[in-house]
Amino acid sequence: MSEKTKEPGVLGNLFKTFFAKHWPVWVGAIVLGTLNILLFAIKSPWGASGGINNWGENVYKLTGIFGLENATSTSTSFYGMLCVFLVIGSFIGALLSKEFALRIPPKGELIKGFIGGGLMAIGATFGIGCSIGSFYSGVPALSGGAIIFTIGMFIGVVLALRYLMWEMEKFPKFSSGKSYNFLSGTGKSGNWQIYLGWIVLIITFIIAYQYSGGNKIMAWFIIIGMFMGLISQRSRFCIVKAFRDPFMTGEADGSVGVMAGLVISVFGFTAIKYFGIGAGDIAVRAREMTWVFPHFFFRAAIGGFIFGLGMTVAGGCAVGTLWRVGEGQVKLWASALGFLLISPISKLYIVPPIVKALPQNFNFKNYLPDYLGYPGAVGLVLFIILIWYVFVKWNEKTGRFSAF
Amino acid sequence: MENKIDQTLDCKGLSCPMPMMKLAKAMKGLKSGEILEMIGTDPGTKSDLPRWCEKSGNEMLEEGELEGGIFRFLIKKK
Repeated sequence: MSEKTKEPGVLGNLFKTFFAKHWPVWVGAIVLGTLNILLFAIKSPWGASGGINNWGENVYKLTGIFGLENATSTSTSFYGMLCVFLVIGSFIGALLSKEFALRIPPKGELIKGFIGGGLMAIGATFGIGCSIGSFYSGVPALSGGAIIFTIGMFIGVVLALRYLMWEMEKFPKFSSGKSYNFLSGTGKSGNWQIYLGWIVLIITFIIAYQYSGGNKIMAWFIIIGMFMGLISQRSRFCIVKAFRDPFMTGEADGSVGVMAGLVISVFGFTAIKYFGIGAGDIAVRAREMTWVFPHFFFRAAIGGFIFGLGMTVAGGCAVGTLWRVGEGQVKLWASALGFLLISPISKLYIVPPIVKALPQNFNFKNYLPDYLGYPGAVGLVLFIILIWYVFVKWNEKTGRFSAF
Repeated sequence: MENKIDQTLDCKGLSCPMPMMKLAKAMKGLKSGEILEMIGTDPGTKSDLPRWCEKSGNEMLEEGELEGGIFRFLIKKK
């Protein structure tokens, strides 16, 4: 007896548009870029390593070590909460599309996740920012240091990819072995995921509403964080993919997506800085210098390089790690754990002595419009993106630099 | 007609990029017309693999989901 499948109604089709298939990366990246502009208009741009560091500080606060008793608690930290709700948003996206499952990888992968996370923490401390703060937000913020960070990250990714290929050839056992998969949502019996997804979504809005009385900015950070997680999960937005795939399978979709998001953000960020939108009581100059960190050029170069190594070994950049945590990928739980546990240690003990030993001019703020004017700075950033686009599309066609 | 499977690649539990790396390597070792069965649990493979097949010219014969959230793909080498 054949079961007749019911045609979905208008709302059913709307639901399917968002949750039946993955979105093209460029769609997700453009929406993420737009939300990033909104975050900047409300307060300051998107960042991830600061929030993850806040989680780590709160873990150590509980244990009473490292003298972090005065660390800002996560419930009052804008970026700590942004990251929390990014994970929750991805959890909602995965549930509504029945893609959530606890996916426990072989042991070797867990170790790589933790080490990759730790390297990302050190890279983000050294480079003052991660794949988001010093790249996806830093480049549109017209920071010269962010461009240097990006170059360092690019070299780190290419080298770490070579390591992964070597490991796969020489030690295939490291990435194979026993794995487990729990709570998946296959078939009709998995519909609980959709119901739970709606419940968590409603709870998120209730929490944002609770905050809206005393802390309006936090209410918006919660909502935007949730949407950022959901959109990243649906479009599989990942900075590692954008840098790595041209050299692996030759695929350019991830790179082009990230570029689309960058272009949108460049114009949005520039308008905010140019007009001093949201400057309030602070000086327009301070608004202009938002997300232009004192890392030009050496700190940015080394930080980007270490971060690039870490995110490739972990298999997720800062945001890629967070949304994969929400989707139930336990390798990235190890990566998030490595990131949050190492970050405060690297901030307190690893990075400061090295920075102290550096000459002063190795870490200053470079704001491109100071040297090139706004048209020159925007033009330079767009030109670099164009070169990157031509390269990945040419490479996709010819396979000149791809491993497979 | 049932497809004859020449090799099975188990990528269960692995996260991006390991499934695609292992798959590309395994495909290199096959002869033209041979069929690879890949099973995995990373949802990313559902969008990465069809795109890669389209680009590389290999043919995706089947894609589906087994019990327990396991994805299964059959790919024929060009």
